[in-house]
Amino acid sequence: MIELKKFSYWYPGTEQSALDRVSLSIAEGEFIGIVGANGAGKSTLCYALSGFVPHFYNGETEGQHTFNGQDMASLDLGQLAGQVGLVFQNPFNQISGARFTVREEIAFGLENLGLPQNEMRARIDEALELVNIQDLAERSPFSVSGGQQQRIAIASILAMQPRVLVLDEPTSQLDPDGTRDVFTALSKLVSTRKITVILAEHKLEWLATFCDRVVALGGGKLRAEGSPQAVLSSEQMLRLGVGRTQYSEAAARLLRTKQLPVTLEQARKALK
Amino acid sequence: MRGGSIYIERSSGLHRLHPLTKVALTALCFASAAALPGLPWLLALFVGLLLPLAIWGRLTGAFLKACLLVVGPFVLSLTIIQGFFSGGETVLFNLGRFVFTQEGLLAGLTFAARLLVALGGTLLLMQSTPQPHLMQALTERGFPPRIAYVVLTAIQIFPSFQDRAQVIMDAQQARGLELQSGLLNRARLLLPMVGPLILGSVMDVSERAMALEARAFSSPARKTSLNTLADSLLQRALRWLLALAAAALLLWRLWSALQ
Ligand SMILES: Nc1ncnc2c1ncn2[C@@H]1O[C@H](COP(=O)(O)OP(=O)(O)OP(=O)(O)O)[C@@H](O)[C@H]1O
Ligand SMILES: [Mg+2]
Repeated sequence: MIELKKFSYWYPGTEQSALDRVSLSIAEGEFIGIVGANGAGKSTLCYALSGFVPHFYNGETEGQHTFNGQDMASLDLGQLAGQVGLVFQNPFNQISGARFTVREEIAFGLENLGLPQNEMRARIDEALELVNIQDLAERSPFSVSGGQQQRIAIASILAMQPRVLVLDEPTSQLDPDGTRDVFTALSKLVSTRKITVILAEHKLEWLATFCDRVVALGGGKLRAEGSPQAVLSSEQMLRLGVGRTQYSEAAARLLRTKQLPVTLEQARKALK
Repeated sequence: MRGGSIYIERSSGLHRLHPLTKVALTALCFASAAALPGLPWLLALFVGLLLPLAIWGRLTGAFLKACLLVVGPFVLSLTIIQGFFSGGETVLFNLGRFVFTQEGLLAGLTFAARLLVALGGTLLLMQSTPQPHLMQALTERGFPPRIAYVVLTAIQIFPSFQDRAQVIMDAQQARGLELQSGLLNRARLLLPMVGPLILGSVMDVSERAMALEARAFSSPARKTSLNTLADSLLQRALRWLLALAAAALLLWRLWSALQ
């Protein structure tokens, strides 16, 4: 449903392209992980997949960029917002600041979509439960921790029920429990609602366990693409500064095997 | 991080009033501040209406404290200036060539009382109403949502500047910049702080604007609200009454000035 063909992008006033001839085709219902070192272009790819490039950032583009077969540049951000959700890297800047409680903050996007009150209530309760923050509902979104704000930011987009959900390092401030809550919620939505999830993330173990497909970026170029097993176990990930999962790392030290495991389950089998 | 609002959460009748009812009350206070003829009237309004409302809203302490903090310095400076310079017959005392008159003192106090009444009305509104609810009430009456948003977030987000300034200051102190000593030194050393502060804020603005778009802020749909603000026929009537009273006061004042 989203398709990039030899897509390049330059931020306004820059010489170096942030995305360099990236070709990527994303189908409905996929759970895709994006990996790459700092500055590799993960955020920029997230913006492109959600339409913020080219709609919000002007800059220069080259190549093809389509959403459901329509040229992304011809679509309108206001209408896209109901279909594609984007969760940003920094949670604080996503708190709209226009609402008084967490519940009302989550409602902000729904009010903008013009939903009726009872539908809003149902969706808010569901989103609060999905990211496990029911107990924060009546608090001020400014009076909670960074990790809690990150959960609020995710819930705020989940409640809008977009068909495509793009998340840029959504667990950067979350503890292991929080990370598990988010990944579990996302995979649940992928399997029950057939939504598409695209997630930039440094926590490789989680990607390995939950994603259908992993895309590796380096210097704005697409360097590898395929199953988590194929991509994350490859030697190339070390060169790209992506690193390896702790399971691969352990196996690499303990075993002499060609195919490194990337999940706990695979590691258990390999070490037997 | 603090939300920058002066709202004080209490469970009270004043808090439960429709925001526009309180706006009408504030409008009456402003009209009274401008139109009431003298000190006794102004003080009577403050003691007879504003103070009881503050007590009803369980805000007495915070209300009086804010009044004192804001109006206090004005009382002092206004009475001194007016006392010495606005002239009059009844001399209370003199300092060399300067005479301090009773008429001047009264004028200063009256001016301060006008401030007190206007401020008191504003405080009652702001301390008992979450700003988002006030804005909702206004946008429901056709106030443009974009402007409402800018005003609201400016109020709520401003304290993040202070927090950020503190963070930068701490960081630079840790790197050996001495910020504590000497006024001139301080001013000079503040410069390295301004850059990160402004840059950080500009980057924030663009990220914030994007985050807003992600929340469908420019969606073509007609916006709805999660909460219905409680209103009643009685309150509607009261609002009209308050607005009429405010208008009448101003007209009366205008008329008597023209006489
Ligand atoms: N607003 C911008 N203007 C100009 N250049 C930018 C802008 N944002 C990012 N870049 C550049 O584009 C490249 C890709 O940046 P991007 O933010 O997409 O990387 P990233 O993979 O998300 O990094 P990180 O892991 O640090 O979040 C970098 O070289 C960066 O300097
Ligand atoms: Mg990034």
